[in-house]
Amino acid sequence: MSLQISDSVIWQETAGGISLYHAETGDFHTLNETGSRIWELVASDGEREPIVAKLSHEFAGDNLAMSVRVLKDVQEFLGSMIERGLIEEHPA
Amino acid sequence: MTRAVVLGGGFAGALAGAVLARHADDVIVIEDDHYPSGPRARRGLPQSHHSHVLVAGGARALQELLPGTLEALFARGAHHRRLPGDALILGAAGWFRRLDTGAYLISCSRGLLDQVVRQRALGAVSTWAGTRALGLVGDARRVTGVSVRREGAAPETIEADLVVDATGRRSKAPRWLAELGGAEIEELTVSSGLAYSTRVYQAPAELAGEIPAIMLHPRPARGRPGQGATLFPIEDGRWIVTLTGTRGGEPPADERGFADFARSLRDPIVADLMAAATPLGGIRPYRDTSNRRRFFERARLPAGFVAIGDAVVAVNPVHSHGMSVAALSTLRLDRELTRRGLDPAAAPELRAAMAAEAESSWRMALAQDAGPAGRREATAFEREILARRTRALLSSPELAAEFFRAQTLLPARAAKDGPAVVRALTGEPDPLLTTREAVMQYPALHAWWDALTRVRGGREPSLR
Repeated sequence: MSLQISDSVIWQETAGGISLYHAETGDFHTLNETGSRIWELVASDGEREPIVAKLSHEFAGDNLAMSVRVLKDVQEFLGSMIERGLIEEHPA
Repeated sequence: MTRAVVLGGGFAGALAGAVLARHADDVIVIEDDHYPSGPRARRGLPQSHHSHVLVAGGARALQELLPGTLEALFARGAHHRRLPGDALILGAAGWFRRLDTGAYLISCSRGLLDQVVRQRALGAVSTWAGTRALGLVGDARRVTGVSVRREGAAPETIEADLVVDATGRRSKAPRWLAELGGAEIEELTVSSGLAYSTRVYQAPAELAGEIPAIMLHPRPARGRPGQGATLFPIEDGRWIVTLTGTRGGEPPADERGFADFARSLRDPIVADLMAAATPLGGIRPYRDTSNRRRFFERARLPAGFVAIGDAVVAVNPVHSHGMSVAALSTLRLDRELTRRGLDPAAAPELRAAMAAEAESSWRMALAQDAGPAGRREATAFEREILARRTRALLSSPELAAEFFRAQTLLPARAAKDGPAVVRALTGEPDPLLTTREAVMQYPALHAWWDALTRVRGGREPSLR
C-alpha cells in the first residue's frame, strides 16, 4: 500500500515540529517530534513498510520488543492521520 | 380541542402562529402593540427603523413556510443581491470580485417584510393586538395557559396546550417560569461593543434599482475601534445606510458627524453616495447589540412551554441573522410538531430543537465578538495561513462559497474541493482590485462614479 499526503493539506516544518492545515476542515495540527519524523518519511518514501523499517532501525536498533512497540505506534499514528483525511492510502 | 398561544406577534410570532395553525384547532397570537396599516415601522419595535435583511438560509425557510412570500416581497420592491455576486464589498484585505457562491440576501424595510409576512401568516389565527401578556399560568410541572389583559379590560386567562414565547430579546419568560416554580434559566450575554447609526435616503433615479449592496468592513487593526458601513437598496427607490463602530469609535447621530464618519472610512464611496442621495428623516442610533442566549433547553421547566427566535438566541444585529434564525427555527418547529403532535409533554424536545437551530448563528457571532480571550496565541504558521485565506477569499470561488454560505446560514456544500483551496492558498494570489476596478464590476454604479470623477476634474472620488 502506498501512502500519500492529501492534496488538501498544506504543511510546513517549523521549530516546534511539522505544522499542518487541512483545507477542507479548516483545522490546524502540530505534530510532535516522532509524528514529524513519520510525516517526513511519508513525504519521502510513501510506503508503509520502508517507513516502519527505517523508524525501527532508528529507535529500536536490534531490540525486538522495542521494534514491536515502534510498529504499533507507527500504525496507530498513520491510522489516525488517514482517519482525519491528512494522509491517504492507496493500493500500490 | 387543542389550543396554542403565541406571545408576541412580530416576525417570529407571526410565523409561529402560521405553523401552529397546522397542528392546533385554535391559535391565538398575543401582541402588545397595534399593527400599522401599511408597511411602516412599528412603535414597539425600535429596531424596525434599522437595516433588516433576510439571508439566504432564512429566505429559503420563509419560502418553505409560506410559499410565495418572496415573490410577494419582490413585487413590492424588495431587492435580491447575491453575495458577493451583486455586492461591492471591501473586505479586510481588499475588494471582492463578483463570484457566484449560491449565497444571497433579500433587502427591504422591516415594515414591508412584517406586513407581507403578517398578511400571509395570520389568516388562520386569532390575533389579539393591543393585549398585554401578564404571565404564565400553571405550576412547576405544566404551563396550562397565559394571563393577559386586553386594553381597558380586566386580566383574563387563556388556557393552552402549548405556549410559545416569541417576545424577543426582552422576553420575561424566565421570570414567569420561575414564578411557577420552574428552574432558573442560565443566561449568557457577550457584549459586541458595537454601536450603529442608520439613515434612510431617496436614491438618485439612475442608481435606485441598479446599485449593488455595499459593505465596507472595518480595517483590521488590533486595539483600535473597528468602523464600517453598509448600504442596502430597499423598496421605493430608497437606500438604508448603516454606519458601525466599536467602543471608542461609535458613529455619531448628528448630521455633520454622520457624514464625516462615512468619509473617514477606508473608502469614501458610501459617503459619496450619501451626498448624492436625499435624506428621508433623521439619523437613528442603536446600541442594544450584545449577543444574548437563554439556555431554556438546559433547565428543568414545566411542560407546555417553548421559546423561539430572539427570546432564545439574539445575536449582534450586524450579523443579520435574527429574522433568518427565526424562520429556520419555525420551520424546525413545524417538523417537530408533525413528528410529535401538539403534546405538552414534548416541550423539552421542542426546546432542544429551538436551541439546536440557533446554534450555528450563536457560534459564528461569538467567534467574531468574543475576541481572542481564552484562546492561545496563533503560531506563525497559523497566522500565515489565515492571512493568505483572507487575501484568497476575495477571488477564490471555493473559499468565498464557504465563507458566504456560512454567513447566510446555508448548509455547506457537500463536496468541498480541498485541492482547489490549497491552490488558492499556496499559489500567487490574484492581484488586488483597485477601487476603480471594483466599481467597474457594476456598470450603473461605474457610470455614476465616472461622472463624479469628471465633475471633480479627474480626481477619482474613492481613490485614497
